[in-house]
Amino acid sequence: MLGAQLLVAENAFFYVIAAVMAYGAIRVVTTNNIVHAALYLVVVLAGGAAQYLLLGQEFVAWVQVIVYIGAVIVLFLFGIMLTRAPMKAEEKLTNDLRGAALIPTGLLAAILATLCLDAFSDKTVDLVSPIRTKAVTSAIFRGYLVPFEVVGVLLLGALIGAVVLARRD
Amino acid sequence: MLALFTQPIDAARMIAVPKIDWLAIGPPVVLFTAALAIVLLASLLRGRSLQHDLDDWVVLCAFAGPIEFWLGRFSAIRYNHDVFSIIVMLAGIGSVAFAMGVSIVRKHTFAASLVIALAGVISAVAITVAQWNVVRTSGSFTSMAGAVAVDGMAVFVMGVVLVATVFGLLLGTSWIRREQLEGPEFLALLLLCATGMLVMASANDLIVVFVALEVFSIALYVMTAFDRHRIESQEAGLKYFLLGAFSSAIFLYGVALTYGATGSTNLVTIRESLTGLVGGDNGLLMVGFALMLVGLGFKVAAAPFHMWTPDVYQGAPTPVTAFMAGATKVAAFGALLRIFVGSFDLLQTDWRPAVYGLAIVSMIVGSVAAIVQTDVKRMLAYSSIAHAGYVLIGVQVATESNGGLGGTSAALFYLGIYMLMAVGAFAVIQVVGRARETDSSLDDYKGLARKEPVLAGLLTLFLLAQAGVPLTAGFVAKLTVFKAAVDAGQFQIALIGMLSATVAAFVYLRIVLSMYSGDEHGSATPVEGNRLTVDLPVRITISLTAALVLLFGVVPGWLLDVAEHATSILAG
Repeated sequence: MLGAQLLVAENAFFYVIAAVMAYGAIRVVTTNNIVHAALYLVVVLAGGAAQYLLLGQEFVAWVQVIVYIGAVIVLFLFGIMLTRAPMKAEEKLTNDLRGAALIPTGLLAAILATLCLDAFSDKTVDLVSPIRTKAVTSAIFRGYLVPFEVVGVLLLGALIGAVVLARRD
Repeated sequence: MLALFTQPIDAARMIAVPKIDWLAIGPPVVLFTAALAIVLLASLLRGRSLQHDLDDWVVLCAFAGPIEFWLGRFSAIRYNHDVFSIIVMLAGIGSVAFAMGVSIVRKHTFAASLVIALAGVISAVAITVAQWNVVRTSGSFTSMAGAVAVDGMAVFVMGVVLVATVFGLLLGTSWIRREQLEGPEFLALLLLCATGMLVMASANDLIVVFVALEVFSIALYVMTAFDRHRIESQEAGLKYFLLGAFSSAIFLYGVALTYGATGSTNLVTIRESLTGLVGGDNGLLMVGFALMLVGLGFKVAAAPFHMWTPDVYQGAPTPVTAFMAGATKVAAFGALLRIFVGSFDLLQTDWRPAVYGLAIVSMIVGSVAAIVQTDVKRMLAYSSIAHAGYVLIGVQVATESNGGLGGTSAALFYLGIYMLMAVGAFAVIQVVGRARETDSSLDDYKGLARKEPVLAGLLTLFLLAQAGVPLTAGFVAKLTVFKAAVDAGQFQIALIGMLSATVAAFVYLRIVLSMYSGDEHGSATPVEGNRLTVDLPVRITISLTAALVLLFGVVPGWLLDVAEHATSILAG
């Protein structure tokens, strides 16, 4: 059974990637270097893209790579470089509340894990006929045309806002 | 290489062109176009190079006409010079007129922007009226692949938002002139903000609701921080942005979980999918709409998600505060009604207790916390929290299985009236605040009645209306909300509402008392010296809102009727 072997391989890959992502996510908040934090975030986001690929969601995966790694992280790094933020390791990057922060974080993780297990543990993903890019395109330009266009309005608003706030005169 | 472009496009690979329903999406499109025109106008006319280009072009055209005319007349070349020269001359005249127009507009960029903005809003109102007629004659409908709903509630909310936008533009104009700030951008942001609110009013899909929420929120963050002279404005903008971004994320999480539970983001589809879920406790769905309630509760400033309200209302420029109080509340409540009353109607036993609790907490927190405030803008911020509580009373009785749609119409009516009362009160506060908006503490209102009897009288009217005194629209609004609650057999919440209204009345009377006393002792002499300047836009705003507050207080029938016909949510 090729299908079953494929499934085993995919599951194995899933756990490997998930472990890497978890490590990256923890390092994002524990590292003392803000540039390293941004780079660890790349690991997490790339891991997410890889998971999408494993699920056969090619379009979402590449959007994840292009938008998050290509644009958002680069923006982060630009922001760090342009704002005279310290580029080397800092002792004071995490404050004393890190212990207390574990409580809400753990609670949120527990709630979400419970919810997702409760709702989706008996569901299976159909990997034989994944959603192709064409279907996504069709959804964006037909079913979700209005939100797609309104996002354009949102970007214009953000652009004008940024100009208004950043202008010095 | 060329073959790639000349190849016929494979029909099977093309996406069928979606049908655009211009009537359904008309109002936001018109407002967005106006905003875009203002931005283009402002940015093009500021560019120096373009002006030079225009000048050269105009000079060329202006001379080309006559030169060609004489050349044509005396040259040996025979061609149809009459038509040709007339065209060139017309082009020349047109260019001169265009250049004159450009130079006039260039000098009065702000006035031109205001004209464009008002024209946009008025066109949007016209389209909204057309929608209202369609809804009344042939019922509500969804269009644009189910993303947009045109129904009574959408049209009502859009109408209130558009009226608030007109007032916001007028107050903003006066404020921009007084503070000497960059005008066109402010008007463009206000229009973009209103665009988002209009989209939200008719959003029939959770994704559209979210994107629209972001559109108007981002514009509001920037408008809050628009005043570069005042550090408070910047601070309020940052606070609003951080907390607002958080609440948007919470709302989005709720949308995601709801999608996970129901398999759709379309509100009609969600409603249909819920019929099979009744009775079963679906954790994903419960947490999903709880998170959505938190996100929207933040936007409508309902306690306990109200922490930002006093700081932001106080720090934001007063016209922005007026617009925020009037329009944001109605837009966010529109989405709240649409999602909870419209889509989650069948799960009302799950969400109604939560909204009930929010209503009570908002009324009590808003009324009681306002007592200890000494800043008038801050007091009205707390009172807006209490008003959100009264609207929430309407929302939680607004379920069809619970005594008709009295709750929805009561909530909508209350929102419309609250917009007028809030805009009017903040308009007076804007005038009293003077340049840099320094004078908004309770002491600054001492002796206002002596100095400015008309202004003080009108502010008294708005405050009494907010307190719910008879013969003002505020009384009718409170009455309809409490009546809806009593009709549904909820005496307790109506009683709590009345008690909190009494406490809130004390707050408003404190401001009124301050205006009508305190001058004799001569201790505080803030409103001294030159009289307050009330320019035309503010004058129009205050007189219109005051007239409407009185009118709807004495003869509320028409608006009540409209609100009752506006209760249709979702097609089908």
